[in-house]
Amino acid sequence: MTDTTLSLEGTPPATVAAGHRELVRDGVQRRLGRRRRVGNVATSLCAAALCVSLVPLIALVAYVVSRGLPALSVGFLVHTPTPEGIPGNGIGNAIVGTLVIVAIAMAMAVPVGLATALFVVERPGTLSTALRFGADVLTGAPSIAIGVFAYATFVIAFGYSGLAGSFALAVLMLPIMLRADEEAMATVPDDLWEAGLALGSRRARVVRSVVLRSAVPGIVTGNLLAMARAIGETAPLIFTIFGSQFYALRPTSPMAAMPLTIYTNATQPYADAQRTAWGTALVLMVLVVMLSVAARAVAAHLNRKAR
Amino acid sequence: MPLRRRLPALVLVAVVAVGAAACSSSSSSSSASTASAASTAGASSAPGGTLGGTADTTTPAASLTGAGASSAQPFLTRAFYDYNRTNPKLTVNYSAAGSAVGISDIQAGTVTFGQSEIPMSASDQAKATGGPILQVPIDLGGVAISYNVPGAPTNLQLDGNQLADIYLGTVTDWHQIDSSIPAGTTIVPVHRADSSGPGYDLDQYLIDTSPAWVTAIGTTTASKTWPKANVGVGQQLNSGVATYVKQTPGAIGFVEYAYALQNGFTNAALRNTSGSYVAPSIASIAAAGSHATDLSSANFNIVDAPGNATYPLANFSWSLIYQKQKSTDTGIALGKLLDWIATTGQRNAQPLGYAPMPANAQAVAHTALLQLQGADGSALFAS
Amino acid sequence: MSTIAPAANGASWAPVDGVAATLADRRARPGGRLYAAVRWGGAALFAGVFALLIFVLLHESSSAFAHMGITILWRGWNPAKNQYGAGVFAVGTLLTTLVALVIAVPIGLGTATFLAELAPRWVAAPCTVLVEFLAAVPSIVVGLWGLIVLTPLFARHVEPFLKDVPVLGALFHGPPLGASILLAGVVLAIMILPTIVALSRVAMSGVALADREAGMALAATRWQVARRVVLPGARRGIRAAVTLAMGRALGEAIAVAMVVGNNTAFPHSLLAPGATLGSAIVNSFSEANPGTLEKSGVVALVVVLLGISVLVNAGGQILLRARKGAPPPRGPVEEILAVTGPAS
Repeated sequence: MTDTTLSLEGTPPATVAAGHRELVRDGVQRRLGRRRRVGNVATSLCAAALCVSLVPLIALVAYVVSRGLPALSVGFLVHTPTPEGIPGNGIGNAIVGTLVIVAIAMAMAVPVGLATALFVVERPGTLSTALRFGADVLTGAPSIAIGVFAYATFVIAFGYSGLAGSFALAVLMLPIMLRADEEAMATVPDDLWEAGLALGSRRARVVRSVVLRSAVPGIVTGNLLAMARAIGETAPLIFTIFGSQFYALRPTSPMAAMPLTIYTNATQPYADAQRTAWGTALVLMVLVVMLSVAARAVAAHLNRKAR
Repeated sequence: MPLRRRLPALVLVAVVAVGAAACSSSSSSSSASTASAASTAGASSAPGGTLGGTADTTTPAASLTGAGASSAQPFLTRAFYDYNRTNPKLTVNYSAAGSAVGISDIQAGTVTFGQSEIPMSASDQAKATGGPILQVPIDLGGVAISYNVPGAPTNLQLDGNQLADIYLGTVTDWHQIDSSIPAGTTIVPVHRADSSGPGYDLDQYLIDTSPAWVTAIGTTTASKTWPKANVGVGQQLNSGVATYVKQTPGAIGFVEYAYALQNGFTNAALRNTSGSYVAPSIASIAAAGSHATDLSSANFNIVDAPGNATYPLANFSWSLIYQKQKSTDTGIALGKLLDWIATTGQRNAQPLGYAPMPANAQAVAHTALLQLQGADGSALFAS
Repeated sequence: MSTIAPAANGASWAPVDGVAATLADRRARPGGRLYAAVRWGGAALFAGVFALLIFVLLHESSSAFAHMGITILWRGWNPAKNQYGAGVFAVGTLLTTLVALVIAVPIGLGTATFLAELAPRWVAAPCTVLVEFLAAVPSIVVGLWGLIVLTPLFARHVEPFLKDVPVLGALFHGPPLGASILLAGVVLAIMILPTIVALSRVAMSGVALADREAGMALAATRWQVARRVVLPGARRGIRAAVTLAMGRALGEAIAVAMVVGNNTAFPHSLLAPGATLGSAIVNSFSEANPGTLEKSGVVALVVVLLGISVLVNAGGQILLRARKGAPPPRGPVEEILAVTGPAS
């Protein structure tokens, strides 16, 4: 095993070599039984970590379900909102609004994130480092700041609209997507790069045929995480989409969205409003789960085709 | 064709499509503006006729937008719904993004009306791009001081000095406030973490009644931001304060009366300027409103009002509209709607926890709305 | 053994496709220019939005910075006295983020290792999806749950328990109010956990199969392969995961505002109610009238938060670079790419 290091990303052989050396040393120094016991203890600790991770999830979901389920009905999913005390309340326009706003936001952010990630991966240099650093800093921006930014730019220029909300969400998602896309592409093993380049392809061709395809799971995971985060954000929407009691006909008009509905209802004292808020929260969570599952299925299909 | 071949083109199409969508949205009129059907109003002296209030609910077709205080939202959406049932030509969309957004939106003219717990100051009004602003009171609410103290009497009597001690942290045990409460229960004062109308009201009350409070905060001007945020726990919005007080023994906090009513809270009876200890109720809040004989947007404070049955913590909520309306139809619709809300619409106040506006406030609303003008400066309503 | 996570990329056949594509390419137009234009366009758009955001923020906060000067970094926040300092909030942000990372990074890495390397497939697959569901919960719902369920739980059970812990107990003094820096840190940990788990797991599964197999061939146990080969190999991706998680923790506003206690005094213990930059921003923004110094002060808080984010990220980069030592020399592939040039 040579120790030639590559400045390309992926696991540098130097690290791999070091790791294998450690294993040999371990094997010589300790007997299998002892290594097995250490391994079992470590595995149990990691399993415990998994259980600890699942506890808040189960508690949260159980709570949302217990409070949200009583609100659900077919009418709830289809009707538009009614004032306090009037029956026939529903969040149909908010569901459609969320789907439209998030779809447009994804259409804005995914290509830009992908293109920028390709730029950063293929042309390492000052500009790429600056872009990556900028993305890291931007992920620390509170979503309310991004909502205010979208208000000061998009809403002042074009008015309250679902599109302004999509813009705000796209700005929110972009840095996360960029970082995740870049990492996904960077962990492609070097032998694939080498093979592609050895066949005489240009770098761009190698990226498109080889790297992107192997990076698809990481890209999908990263973009899904960004989308799941964006779907649940309220602050960017408060200042951009205005909200509505009706089904919106175009994305260029004020729209309703589920996080906004949750916010305005959860902060009111009336029992109806509270029920609506939790029902909306439940619907939102189910929606995100369905979208995640669908996206994963698409990614797995792409993966299988690649094989 | 495999996806990878089409990827660059897809990307380009996506970017161009987004660009086209963005461009087209700018050429179509801003949806927040007030579109209306073709105006039939001619050059008649008062196209809106008489501002009738109760009986007359016919208006030109209009689609209005409003933004502002979240506290007014339940009342307003109900009012709009009821009005729309009698007059389907008028639809209203209200966004509860906060008083500041309401003010900023009406300054920029991106909504038909703003809604604020505290009226616009002179400097706020100077920034309005469309001319003078009319401020119209449309609902009346109160602030309850709710507490969760095991062993305390209901309607515990508190005056300004005791409240100031609590919120300054100088008194830390409930036994010192009321000796009938057993010692050992720590006081947990809960304030509003976000700026709020209720916070403003309580701040004003403490400024009026407690010299210690004035000394501690260093000013005699009330503020929507709670001035003593380094004492106790702050919670977001009425719902946050209400939830925290409900679950924390020893907690005391201020919430809108509608909240206290819906949650069945135990509320303190506050000492008002006439020396009576009055608990919050629809009647006592309404009494506070009726004592505002000189009510106007410049003289809006009804905290610590006199009267034996007057609750000292109350305030009106104000609608902000431009005097000069660019579209006559919109102006007429707006005027009639707000006048209806100020009079007939008040029937929805009590079920939601607000007090119906007294006659003096309705008169102020009516007078303000009579000043509405069309684009040419002529009055929209005759009387 | 089927429990070794296979290379998730399945790219074994890709180079062959690449050959066919290259041959087809040679017959068609280069297409490299369009691709480069798309790439440049994306980067320019990203950079443009970023620059616009910074500009708008600086513009809106300029009057507050002019008013406070450098003292904004340590003074307190008192609008009644026209004081708009970020000091206490910055401390709160750093404390809550620290607590969140201390809790979430070990648990997240442990979970990711378990799911990627150590768990049997029938456990790993559903649990992976389950943990990522946590990312689907809107932050306002997490905040509400934290306020309604966790706050009394902490006030009655967790905080009194922590006060009695022998050595660490000194960190936890003061009345157990529930709403505290500690609870905010815990809520943040819950929110950033899925990010750490998901991205670390992806990073770990990207480690080449050949390297793992070599480890196996050396008679290593699964845990040893995970520890010696996979974790170091996934170091870069794990670093990115933690960076993204930290960014989220720094900027989270609504959920934190519901559980942190919103007290503007300097927190003397983890059990004290405090405030963070995010919570202060979300509290003050909706009601600060436009054009006022207070509004400008709130935007200044955003700028300070981004400044902290810059410092923390830069500090992390410097720390890690120092440990890595000199950059590695150019290897054969880099030489080839240098010859073929950046334009392709």
